[in-house]
Amino acid sequence: MSGLPIATDGSARIARQTFFTRARRSPTLILGIIMLGLLVVASALAPIIATHDPAAQSLTGGLLPPSFEHLLGTDQLGRDIFSRMLFAGQTDLRIAFLAALTPFVTGIVLGLVSGYFGGWLDYVIGRIVDTVIAFPFYVIVISIVFAVGAGETGIFVAFALVGWVGYARVVRVTTTAMKSSAWVAAARGGGLSHARVILRHLLPNVLPQAVVLLMSEIIAIMVAVVTLGYLGLGIQPPTPDWGTMISDGQTFVTTKWWISTIPGLAVIYTGISLSLVGDGLGDAWRVK
Amino acid sequence: MPRSSRLRSRVIRGAVPIALVAALALSACAAPATPTDPATSEPQSGGTITLGRVASVTSLDLNNEITANNAFAIDKIFEPLISFDSDGVLTPGLADSWEVSEDGLVYTFALHPGVLFSDATPLTAKDVVFSLERHIAVEGPVPLHASISSIEATDDETVTITLAEAYTPFLSEIAQFSNGIFPADFGGKTEEEFFKNPIGTGPFVVDKWDPAGDISFVKNENYWQEGKPYIDALVYKLIPDGTQLLQQLQAGQINAIDEVAEANVEELSNNADVTVTKTGSWVVEQLFLNTQNEYFSDVNVRQAIAHALDREGITAATTFGTAEVANSLIPPTIQYSANDSGFALDYDLDAAKAALAKSAYPNGFSVSLMIASGNSLRAQEAQIVQEALAEIGITVNIESIDLATFRTRFFAYDFDFMINSGQSDSPDPNGLISFQADPEGFSQSYWTHYTNDKVTELMKQGRVTLDGPDREKIYLDIQEILANDVPYIPIFYPSAIKATSSKVHGLVVLPNESIRFQDAWIEQ
Amino acid sequence: MRPPLRWLRRTLFAVVPVVIGVVVAVFFLLRLVPGDPARMILGERATPESVAALREQLGLNKPLLQQLVDFAGTVFLHGDTGNSLIYNVSTRELIVQRAPISLALVGLAVLFSLLIAVTLAVLAARHKDGIIDHVVRVIPTIGQGMPTFWIGLLLIILFAVTLKWFPVGGIGTGPLEPLRSLVLPALAVSLGLIPPLVRSLRSELLEVFSSDFVTTLRAAGIPERRVVFGHILRNASLPTLTLLSVSVSYLIGGTLVVEQVFGINGLGSLLFGAISNRDFPVVQGVALYCALMVVLVSLVLDGLVWLLDPRTRSAS
Repeated sequence: MSGLPIATDGSARIARQTFFTRARRSPTLILGIIMLGLLVVASALAPIIATHDPAAQSLTGGLLPPSFEHLLGTDQLGRDIFSRMLFAGQTDLRIAFLAALTPFVTGIVLGLVSGYFGGWLDYVIGRIVDTVIAFPFYVIVISIVFAVGAGETGIFVAFALVGWVGYARVVRVTTTAMKSSAWVAAARGGGLSHARVILRHLLPNVLPQAVVLLMSEIIAIMVAVVTLGYLGLGIQPPTPDWGTMISDGQTFVTTKWWISTIPGLAVIYTGISLSLVGDGLGDAWRVK
Repeated sequence: MPRSSRLRSRVIRGAVPIALVAALALSACAAPATPTDPATSEPQSGGTITLGRVASVTSLDLNNEITANNAFAIDKIFEPLISFDSDGVLTPGLADSWEVSEDGLVYTFALHPGVLFSDATPLTAKDVVFSLERHIAVEGPVPLHASISSIEATDDETVTITLAEAYTPFLSEIAQFSNGIFPADFGGKTEEEFFKNPIGTGPFVVDKWDPAGDISFVKNENYWQEGKPYIDALVYKLIPDGTQLLQQLQAGQINAIDEVAEANVEELSNNADVTVTKTGSWVVEQLFLNTQNEYFSDVNVRQAIAHALDREGITAATTFGTAEVANSLIPPTIQYSANDSGFALDYDLDAAKAALAKSAYPNGFSVSLMIASGNSLRAQEAQIVQEALAEIGITVNIESIDLATFRTRFFAYDFDFMINSGQSDSPDPNGLISFQADPEGFSQSYWTHYTNDKVTELMKQGRVTLDGPDREKIYLDIQEILANDVPYIPIFYPSAIKATSSKVHGLVVLPNESIRFQDAWIEQ
Repeated sequence: MRPPLRWLRRTLFAVVPVVIGVVVAVFFLLRLVPGDPARMILGERATPESVAALREQLGLNKPLLQQLVDFAGTVFLHGDTGNSLIYNVSTRELIVQRAPISLALVGLAVLFSLLIAVTLAVLAARHKDGIIDHVVRVIPTIGQGMPTFWIGLLLIILFAVTLKWFPVGGIGTGPLEPLRSLVLPALAVSLGLIPPLVRSLRSELLEVFSSDFVTTLRAAGIPERRVVFGHILRNASLPTLTLLSVSVSYLIGGTLVVEQVFGINGLGSLLFGAISNRDFPVVQGVALYCALMVVLVSLVLDGLVWLLDPRTRSAS
């Protein structure tokens, strides 16, 4: 047993209280939230904190090392890296969170449905899941990005199409386990409709695992966006984005290494904070 | 981005365009391309040069190929009648000398005596006739445009070609790689067999060939230039990533690379174990305006854009001083270039705003700038253009799409304006002008739909006028008109940049970016 | 029905639709994307006539359904997906040539990640809540946010360029050179695999550590090492193996980026070039290969699970 607090209406409140108690005591979760919070605030306040206009070019002042005027130096076109980093944070966080939403919802729905109803529906969804997993990831993503054009839309569509699989699997396993439990039979016997059982009883129990997975998926999307930037298929210029900043700086990686390294560190920092949040939540919910 | 050259891309470009950059010589006259210490070192025999390239060789059928990845393997195996040097000047190839009749219709070529193919059979005029006729029959992508009425082997060592009408660029076209000579009747093999294992007069012979990987050559023991090539073997190694090219050279895993990102030139030059060569090429980096677009059909708008671009600034920021600013369509490495004639519209924001004010859109407008993705240099250029045009009220949205889609779009004329490069295959200006200013040509003036009857007339005259001051005037006039009409704005002429281990000497880089290895040798 | 037959029927029902699904999906997906392979082969300055002629020659003008049927025929009759449009070499030959390198890369990466993940997880579980445990728990978090190509570049700069312990790229020739060339790329890949493995394995180990049968074993006086390796790992590894199976599936077709960074001409770089140049037969062939490999991998892992845990056997 995974130790999920299977909550019926009566003990939901108790389960929540336990969750918050554990949450408050979890150093991982707290640290993660603080780190993530700092990141979100810094990005949101980018227009205020930034020292320069991220698009302001200076063709003669390119590739300058960090200095008082340019805290992290300038890129090839003389734009201030520090300011671009902040605005890139906005872009990347926004895209990663938004792109993670659709697959999150789709995956949970499909997982619940296939776990609960079973039968041929389960079989079909299961085969689709297997097909998506067997599909070479890059073929889908690159083809979609080529078809739709590089930039945000392509990324949203690509992840909407393939990203739901992880949630579906995880949710389905839990749903199947719960489906045959006594209290579900009782609920159905008491006249509750399928929809009611799924939404009010099963969903709250699968959400913890799904949310923990969501944190990993957001990081994965961010890493994928950065990698697409490296392949030349990332966010359209001139929108600052950590991925294109890394790839633009790659030519200079031996001489002016900070141009590629610093955005990379930003991505790692984001990854760490999201990981900590995910781990912390997992601990609090006692999810594996 | 893995590579920083203008072709920067991780994509294995099965079809890399021949980057014939228009004049980029850094000194006033084209600098000699060889990095050798003159006269102080004697060539040593032996050794293998391993050249890292980003694309593999997929075909050796010289008459049917156009892209650099194949052309520069083909030109090691086959040679044409006429050759050219690193300054683009025509020199004897398989033909020792040639004569042109007074009326410009009859060309007589005298073959160098005693030339053998790599299988030791002698080269005769019959082989030349067969090769050129086959080229005409297959209607390949780098054709002979002259209207040829006959090609005859007047004797074993003389070939006479008669044209139906005078065509001055004829000799330049003969010098292109696609007119290499091979044995008559493919030496008894079928066409398909022959091109799997080709026989030519060139300095190298194919040893092992993986169309999706490396190709290795060994030296042609029967090569007609005494004692050459000095090296025993030549390998073209497939390394699709530009950063890897650089790193493998610097680590000594290979001893030559076919391209160097402009941004890495300084770093490489400072490395004592590496020699970097920069030479002028036949490529012109340009901003192409679709003259059928509602805004760009107005010449005032186009002139406004030309005035708004700081071409020197762009060149400096994106090519790190390795390219030469372009002031005309025709680069200094090609005949009759007007690069120093001052025709180009200069960088002047006031003039730009004034020109825009004269147009139907004095308050500016919004357009989309299309570039192929995977090319970091172009992405930087596009962003500079975007900022520059914002200064005069034109809002530019950059559309960076993958190469295949990019080509589909602009071939369908579905674009506002784009950054791309034009190139020439020969030192004659006719090639570039025809491709870029002929509305009847298949590209319809490089997809800009530019039509100017005066230019068309001059272009036709240029083809039949003999070389000399009259012909020069024609091409200068054309360039002046183009500079004022600006259907495209030449930005810079990229250099052909190669790098080798400092133990490799004697490489000759041609303006079409091919490397000649006949004189190459390795310090043991 | 007897168990092996039942297993076979179940497997076929699971596997065949997946393989067919992948191949058909790729077939149509490719043709949705704009771009013309003939134009990519000939470049920008070839005339529309030569491009049209090439299209005709390559059979690109045939109706879609006809192409699908031809394709199916080639697959079943020749075990191939056609000649590469760009290289004019049979796709099967290309795959046979390139797959071993990518498989070796993945294999080595899996080896590295298992070695490192097991060590870390065991350490962490043994010293739960201690410093070691916290350190090990942080490692996954760092590793998850690192793009593989970025790690690859750093590894090259550190170990190849500066320390010169490994080549900067490519696959060398000579005794043991290929192996040496694969170390850094495999390491880069494994750093991405390790975080989820450590997390899962540690968590499973903790569960098992505190379980009854381990207490019994320890009470019986069986040496600690045997307890850990002989019994605990065996039980704890099941969910982790499932996780591994998904990661490896992803990797089969996902070595693209690592191969680019390290200059390895394997299946990944073949795939990338093929997609960019719209080389349909090659993309389809690689997709088919990946689907088959993934199926194979999951069957193998299912088999491992069956071997390791007798409890699952009675389920069938």
